[in-house]
Amino acid sequence: MAAAVAVNGTSSSSDWEGRYYHVDQILDRPGPRTDPSFLAGDEVKEFLREKCKILVIGAGGLGCEILANLALSGFKDIHVIDMDTIDISNLNRQFLFRPKDVGNSKAIVAAEFIMNRVPGVKVTPYFGKIQDKDEDYYMQFNLIICGLDSVEARRWINATLVNMVDPENPESLKPLIDGGTEGFKGQARVILPTVTSCYECSLDMLNKPTAFPICTIANTPRLPEHCIEWASVLEWPRVHGEKKMDTDNPEHISWLYEVALARAKEFKIEGVTYSLTQGVVKNIIPAIASTNAIIAASCCNEAFKIATSSAAYLNNYFMLIGTDGVYSYTFEHEKRQDCPVCGGESLDVTISKDWTVERLIEMLVERQDIQVKKPSLSSPGKQIYFQAPPQLEQATRPNLEKKVSELVPDGGEITVTATTLPFNLSLRIKYT
Amino acid sequence: MSQTESQNIEQATTSVATNQPDAKTRRYDRQLRIWAASGQAALEASRILVVSSSATSTSILKNLVLPGIGHFTILDSTITSPADAGNNFFLNARSSIGKLRAQEAVPLLRELNDAVQGEAILKDVSELLATEQGRDWIGTFSLVIAHNLKKDTLDELSTLLWANPNGPPLIAVRSAGFLAHFHVQYHEHCVSQTHSENAPSLRITRPFPALLEWARSLDLQNMDPTAHGHLPFVVILVRAVDEWRKSHDGNLPKTREEKTEFKRSILAMRLKPDEENFEEAEAQAWRVWSEPAVPSDIQTLFSLPPLATSPHHNATFHALLETLAEFTKDPSGPGTLPISATLPDMKADTKSYVQLQNLYRDAAEVEKNHFKELFAAKHPEIAKSANPEEVDSFVKNAHHLRVLRGKQLGAFDKDRDALVTSLSLQPRETATHLALSALSALLSREADITVDALNAEVQTLLGDGVEFPDELDAAIGEVARAPTADLPNMAAFLGGLVAQEAIKVITEQYVPLNGYCVVDLIDSWTGVIG
Ligand SMILES: [Zn+2]
Repeated sequence: MAAAVAVNGTSSSSDWEGRYYHVDQILDRPGPRTDPSFLAGDEVKEFLREKCKILVIGAGGLGCEILANLALSGFKDIHVIDMDTIDISNLNRQFLFRPKDVGNSKAIVAAEFIMNRVPGVKVTPYFGKIQDKDEDYYMQFNLIICGLDSVEARRWINATLVNMVDPENPESLKPLIDGGTEGFKGQARVILPTVTSCYECSLDMLNKPTAFPICTIANTPRLPEHCIEWASVLEWPRVHGEKKMDTDNPEHISWLYEVALARAKEFKIEGVTYSLTQGVVKNIIPAIASTNAIIAASCCNEAFKIATSSAAYLNNYFMLIGTDGVYSYTFEHEKRQDCPVCGGESLDVTISKDWTVERLIEMLVERQDIQVKKPSLSSPGKQIYFQAPPQLEQATRPNLEKKVSELVPDGGEITVTATTLPFNLSLRIKYT
Repeated sequence: MSQTESQNIEQATTSVATNQPDAKTRRYDRQLRIWAASGQAALEASRILVVSSSATSTSILKNLVLPGIGHFTILDSTITSPADAGNNFFLNARSSIGKLRAQEAVPLLRELNDAVQGEAILKDVSELLATEQGRDWIGTFSLVIAHNLKKDTLDELSTLLWANPNGPPLIAVRSAGFLAHFHVQYHEHCVSQTHSENAPSLRITRPFPALLEWARSLDLQNMDPTAHGHLPFVVILVRAVDEWRKSHDGNLPKTREEKTEFKRSILAMRLKPDEENFEEAEAQAWRVWSEPAVPSDIQTLFSLPPLATSPHHNATFHALLETLAEFTKDPSGPGTLPISATLPDMKADTKSYVQLQNLYRDAAEVEKNHFKELFAAKHPEIAKSANPEEVDSFVKNAHHLRVLRGKQLGAFDKDRDALVTSLSLQPRETATHLALSALSALLSREADITVDALNAEVQTLLGDGVEFPDELDAAIGEVARAPTADLPNMAAFLGGLVAQEAIKVITEQYVPLNGYCVVDLIDSWTGVIG
């Protein structure tokens, strides 16, 4: 590691006397609430600084903060994954990046920055997707911290870590610490896969993504957002055909803005702006440095406590709201017995005997605790409806009009799969 | 975000020629969606003084430099220790050891944002507090933040700043290991842009004339069925209330039976059983049960006793508040707060929704103009000099105004009754606060930090005869474990929390902390006391 050598002039050790004066006050002795199993002193320091291997998923708003906190806390073998490159709009909070870094990999730039600033810390970046890595890769870490804004990626890593748990092998249980923010609000949580409630268990706590019914967009627009959706969902494909819309392309956003504005004028709707257009089509979540700092610190604090046993760790959910004073709520989120990832029981779904397969699919897509796009359905030994490949879609399409009750008996099971779903969801169908 | 706010952002920062945002807007896009151009302008005009360049101090500054405050000053004469080089991200690790800490930190903070100015003043704050010139200088900042400052110096600083109600607010932070607290000192903080998520009243039981006229003019039985199925719920409810009153001596539904009956009367207006707008009206019927002319929390503001030391910059707000009280009593006005122009989305066709929106907008305009007339008549001088945007914002947010009255730092610790009450109501928060206050006192006397010494100090604060709850043992034991530890994670956590409060104080948007915020990163909670 060139940076450490350059700073220290010696390659044997980059530490200096007194470097960990602050952290060592915690590691040298227990507090009144520390578990008796805590091994104060050299042993715990050696584990933290020499042996513990930690993975950070995301090198964005939370990720930059997480990497800095871990490095200063004494973690020295840190890996980071991020598939994104740096954009100018990241610079108001992603403090390891400078204007000259725009366009480069977040993971690589962040790793270099940390290694330069905090000598002796090794940060291994991976510029790519979490889905590129297999179980063997995830198995090498003691802990995983997730600072992502994508629900889909979090569901994937959550399901992967739950599946990895082998009751015979305690090492296979990887604590997952997950953080998220929006404006002045955020949450941090500790997930012990199969033991505590998992990410999937709490899916219904997420803010419902604002989806506008297509008939409103097409026929009765009322809000500026309806006009923008009309431009992006209906007009773009009509005018541009196969050409894909790129929400990072300012010319595309300008086009959508102009079209939305014209429609808004026609309907006398006020409020279509460039910034709103961008916000709606990119689903922008407002974000500031301070909230990311709080949530990332909370995540890293839990990682530090788990790695060292110097204090009890969060059980299991910390929620912060900074809009009106400082309000926070710490509670135990309960595991869902019918959680499709960690629950083991199938999800009971009660529907009318008259429901068609198409109606059932609509219901699944709308449900906040399922959040699936384009699901395929099958029952034991029977294909009900498949979205792909095209031949299978065509072959199963006639089933859409059929009643579910003609295909599945009362109490029967339906398996739901989808590309956005990192697991198979099993439903137990009951009829009213 | 409301439409006017996003337009506000847009106007301030979009170049007219291309309608695409400029580089600055693109950089600040994610925060402009929170506090808009007005909040950003306030940040850019601010000058912040931070006393010390500890890990916590630089973490706080990082979160203020990134969003773009105008200027920061670090006041610190400390030489970087090996411990500082180990826990502070804004030092050059080992190569900063032995150099002036503030001077090392400033360039690393400034490189976060070219638009921000920053400087290191290599003096101890007590030096400045000792001279009149120094004291005046401290008073020139927009906000002062201090971390782990010695108790006697901090007391002197807080007394100085408290003595001048027009001087800067003070955020004082104390941390030790996994525990911390911080206090925001201000005499009074007034906010109109609270960004409350509670929807303001649609004034269904007190409709303005044009709305009532529309609701009464409808021939529900014989109108076009499509139009009937797209009537906005607001109009349906106004009509239902009007008819109910006619048959109930002008009263609203009160008892449970009456409310059920009222809901039934809404559904009875349907032409077809599947008219969703009538279902929505039924679901929104709660709006009718309780719609006070003036919500009680706003009514409370009307009778706030005047402050002996009200800051000058709140004068306009108070004049507006007085005008608002008069507006609600004015016989030629609506007898309520001015109506909000913002409507929620509802089941309706474009035409009727836009029509309704225009009615509300026109009514809001009429009432705002009426308000402004009263304002000019009552406070001619202030009305002339007031920023029109401030007046507009006040009227628009009339349902969500807040006035916070603060306390001087340390006042809570001098009030034994308040401490004892707080200890029984919020034991863990109060215990943690007391343990940290005891630590400050001991460090200031350079006494040894032991459990016994901390216990004795807490006893002094509480007075004799107060039983210590278990929470006190837990907090005192933890403080004794790590009395001078500025942990990286705690520093980052406080860095975020304190910066949030600083931003709220500076932008006068959202609602800042009033009192002490106490933090425990063992059980991962925060609480507010004092
Ligand atoms: Zn689960």
